[in-house]
Amino acid sequence: MRYTIGEVALGLLKTLFLLIIVEMFTTTFLPAIGIENFKPAFSVLIVLFLAFKIETPLLPFLILIIQYVHSAFSIEGWGAGTFVGILVSISVRYVKDMLNFTSALSTIIVVQIFQIIWFVFISLMLSMKQGDFSGFFSYIGSNIPESIFLSLISHHFFKLLDNFWMVDRKEAGMVL
Amino acid sequence: MKNLSFDSSRWTLFNNLLVVGFALWGFAMQNYKKDEASFFQRVIIEFMAPLQKGTVSIKDQVAYTFDHYVDIVNTSKENVELKKKVETLENTIFQLNELERENERLKQLLEFGKDIPRKKVLAQVVSWDASNEFKVLRINKGANDGLSLLAPVITMTGLVGYVYRVSGNYSDILTILDQNNRVDSIVARTRTHGIVEGFSDFKCQLKYVPRTEQLEIGDEVITAGLGEIYPKGIKVGKISKIDKENFGITQRIVLEPSVNFQKLEEVVVLIEDNEKVSATETDINEQREER
Repeated sequence: MRYTIGEVALGLLKTLFLLIIVEMFTTTFLPAIGIENFKPAFSVLIVLFLAFKIETPLLPFLILIIQYVHSAFSIEGWGAGTFVGILVSISVRYVKDMLNFTSALSTIIVVQIFQIIWFVFISLMLSMKQGDFSGFFSYIGSNIPESIFLSLISHHFFKLLDNFWMVDRKEAGMVL
Repeated sequence: MKNLSFDSSRWTLFNNLLVVGFALWGFAMQNYKKDEASFFQRVIIEFMAPLQKGTVSIKDQVAYTFDHYVDIVNTSKENVELKKKVETLENTIFQLNELERENERLKQLLEFGKDIPRKKVLAQVVSWDASNEFKVLRINKGANDGLSLLAPVITMTGLVGYVYRVSGNYSDILTILDQNNRVDSIVARTRTHGIVEGFSDFKCQLKYVPRTEQLEIGDEVITAGLGEIYPKGIKVGKISKIDKENFGITQRIVLEPSVNFQKLEEVVVLIEDNEKVSATETDINEQREER
């Protein structure tokens, strides 16, 4: 699946639009209905999709832009997410042949595994930054319920993103 | 359109290295105490915050509709006209009551802390941070309203936090629930010093209190006024749990914050009143000259 600059730009614009909507869902809608402690990290799901399915040398920049927009909604910043996103995307390249997204179950399992890897890396970085490892496991643990939710919806979420990025057409080898 | 697949492995390697380096630099520069919002972040915040604010309004309308319309779905047709009239009146009363309650809250907020010699700016909570790890909320006032970084934020019940990031019309508040926010505090009854930090589940902990200090559950904790962020004497919370281990030199104390963060709607931002400060300095200078 190779992309031209125009296709990447179009896919990115659509993805950013989706990211902003889901970030608003997390930061505004959920707290407004009294759910303050449930914050699904949709930005992670989007970066995982890009790592799994989008093959372009511009992938690191796509991850950077996604994380940068995410940083407007969280003081987490863009640095750690970008770094970990790229690490994950590199590791995905080595296991890509083993990954299978044809069924919902396989997507759920793969996404869950990579989300946990993501949280381990992020927790490690935040702990190192703050010089305090006491919150290392609590950070990972506190994100598990949201990660399960994201894994459960990942199959349908990925299908939506497949449309944005024309993945099916690319896989079928169609020229636009 | 140029196909980027040409020699893509080298491109990928180069881009990975470039962005990884940039990301590590960004992470190293990231400050969890305060943050100067970049131009693009300010644009995104200014563009998105009104939508977040609008979402809250829509939720209020939906809740109102749900509360007042669903109940009357099953009423008989004969009463429809009457119900409509009642509903209109109820709507008016509801809005008036809401206005009255809001006015009362705002009045209390403004009256609260009259002794604090700072200008007060009222603000509404617009949203919460997208990450679980950070307890940050966004308010609808920013630099255009006179807010600046590190300005303390309170309610009439106690301390909320301080301004972490500011854009033109919106600001992010690092609450006392966040582990990165450390408040120099004292226990009001015993005058024992300690540092309040965010803990978990909307609770804080009071750290660095020696085991020898005889504290009790229910003791009130207030700001110490050190650290140049918070004024002295603002309520932080009450002690809800004390653990004294057999080892160590400090005790483990959990605080219930004075502010109910789950029902937080309006806050007050305290701004340094430069005119008052300069007036005070002038007074001191005049007194010195007289002496």
